[in-house]
Amino acid sequence: MADNHEAIYSSIKKIKLIGWLLAVFTIITVGLSYVELPSHSLNIVVGMVVATFKASLVALIFMHLNHEAKLVYKILAFTGAFALALFVLFYFSNTDPLVYKNF
Amino acid sequence: MDIPYTVTARPDTGLYNAKVGIWLFLASEVMLFGGLFSSYIFLRVGADYPWPVHELGVTLGFVNTLVLIFSSVTVLLAWANLKLRNIGKYKLYLFITILCAGTFMVIKSIEYNAKFHHYSVTLTDGTILTGHLPQGYNIEFGEVKELNLTIAGKTAAIDADPINHVLPWVKGDVPKFKTETGDLIVLDKAAFNELKNAAQIKAKEKAQKDGLKEVPNWTLKLVAEKPIVFSLPPSQLLSKPQAGAKLISFRDGTTAEGVMLNDKMTLEVDAIDLRATPDKEKSLAWSENYLGSAWKKFFIEKRDHSISQFNEKYSDGKGGTTRDPAKSATHQKHMFYIKLDDVNHAKLDSDSNAGHKAEVKGPSKDESQESHQHPTVILERKDIQFFSNFTPKLNSYYAIYFTLTGLHGLHVIAGALVLAYFLFCNGKMLKTDPERLANRVEVGGLFWHFVDLVWIFLFPLLYLL
Repeated sequence: MADNHEAIYSSIKKIKLIGWLLAVFTIITVGLSYVELPSHSLNIVVGMVVATFKASLVALIFMHLNHEAKLVYKILAFTGAFALALFVLFYFSNTDPLVYKNF
Repeated sequence: MDIPYTVTARPDTGLYNAKVGIWLFLASEVMLFGGLFSSYIFLRVGADYPWPVHELGVTLGFVNTLVLIFSSVTVLLAWANLKLRNIGKYKLYLFITILCAGTFMVIKSIEYNAKFHHYSVTLTDGTILTGHLPQGYNIEFGEVKELNLTIAGKTAAIDADPINHVLPWVKGDVPKFKTETGDLIVLDKAAFNELKNAAQIKAKEKAQKDGLKEVPNWTLKLVAEKPIVFSLPPSQLLSKPQAGAKLISFRDGTTAEGVMLNDKMTLEVDAIDLRATPDKEKSLAWSENYLGSAWKKFFIEKRDHSISQFNEKYSDGKGGTTRDPAKSATHQKHMFYIKLDDVNHAKLDSDSNAGHKAEVKGPSKDESQESHQHPTVILERKDIQFFSNFTPKLNSYYAIYFTLTGLHGLHVIAGALVLAYFLFCNGKMLKTDPERLANRVEVGGLFWHFVDLVWIFLFPLLYLL
C-alpha cells in the first residue's frame, strides 16, 4: 500500500475523483431507468452494466483490488466461482419440462 | 502475548494478518448476499403480478446512495490522514463517516415507517386500491352474552388466555362475568387462574373416571353480566370473519356468539390498480358506493389518452405499432394504474409537441377541496379479498425488499459501531501505535466499502428497474 507521503497525497486526489464519478454514475442510473428502451429487460441489463461499473470502481480503487497481494485474489477466485454458480442456477428455473423432455 | 503481524506484512502472505481476515470474511459476505440476490431473480421471474418498478420513493433512495458514496470517500480520507498523522482531520473524517451511517439509517427508517402505514387492498374482482386507514381497521362485534373458553388438556398452541387475547378488545367498561358456580367476578389474572385450576382438576377427574389416556379439553362458559361489544383488528381472530358472521374465535380459541355490528373498512385511496381486473370498466371500484362513475370517466379518458399516445409513439406508419402493447409493462401501467396524488391538475401529456396537449381533470366532490386530499371509500367486508400494509406479507417483492435492505441496514449499523470503536475507544493506540490503528481503520474501511458496494446493486434493483 501507499506508504510514502507523496503517494498518499496523490491517492487522496484519486479518491475524491472516484467519489464524484460514482455520484455522476448514480445520476445516470436514475436517468436511464426512466428511458423506455425497446424492452424492460434491456433496461435491467443497462442498469446492471452501470451498477457493475460503479461496483468495479469501488472494488478496484477504494478497496485497492487493482494492486493487492496474490492471496486475496486466490480467496476471491473461490467466491467468484461459487457466486457465479448461484446465478447460473436461475437458468434451470426457465426450463419447461414439456418442451425439453430429455432434460 | 502480542498478536503477530499487526503492522508489518507476514512474509508468506504478503499481508498483515487482519487483512487476510477481512478478505476471508468479505468472501463469505459475498456468498450471503449472492444467495439473496439469486433469490431476488427467482422471485422476480416467478412473480404472478406486475413487478413494482419505481414504486419506492426514488428521491430518498437516491439521497441514501449519495450518502453512502460520500461516506466511502470520507472513511478513506480518515485513513489517509491517519497515515499522514493529521490526527485532527483523521478524527473529523471518521466522525463524518459515522454521521453518514446515522443519516442513512434515519432515511431508511423513514422509508420503512411509510410502508408500515400504507395499505394495499385487493377487492374480490382483482382490483387493487392502495391508501391509508385513517381510523385503522377494527371490526366491531357486539351483543356477546357469553364467552366459551377452552382449557387445553395438555400443552397446546391454542389454550384459553382471555387476559391477553380477549379482554383487551372489549369496548367500554370492564365486563363482569357470572361463573358456572354462580359467582359474579371481574376476570383478572388471579380469577382466571382459579377457574383454570378448577377446570383442570375436573378434566383430570373425568380422564381417570372414563379411563382416558389423555386429559381432555375442558370448556368453560362465562356469562356476561351485560352484553359486550368487541372492537378488534381482524388479525386478532383465528379465522377471517365472514360477512354477517354470528360467531368469532379469538386467537386463544375462545369463541363468542353475537352480531357483526361493523366490518367496513374506511380507506383513503391514493391509487387504483386495475391491471389484474378482468373487466376494467366494471371494476368494483366504480360502484357508486365506492369511487363512482365520475372516477370511472376519468379512468377511461386517461386510458384512451395513454393508448393514443402509445400508438403515436410507436407508430409503424401502416396503422399498426412497432411494439406489442400487451407486452409493454410500462404501457399497461400507464393505462391501468392511476395515482390519485395530484390528479386534479394531472397533465398527462408531458411531450413538448404542441398539437397534442391534453389535460384530464380528476373529479372532485367539492371544488374547494385541496388537490392532495384523497377520496375516501368505505369498503364492505364481502368485497375485500386480501389486505395488508406494504410489508413482506403483501407480496414477494416486499418480502425480498425487506430482507435485503434489512440485512444491509444491519451491516451499516455494524460497520458504524466498528468505526465508532476505533474513534472513541482506541485513543491509547492512536498515541502509542498509530500505524497499527491505521491498519485497523483500513480493514474497517474495507468492510464499509463492501456495504457501499452492495447498495450500489440494491438501489437500481429495488427502486429503479
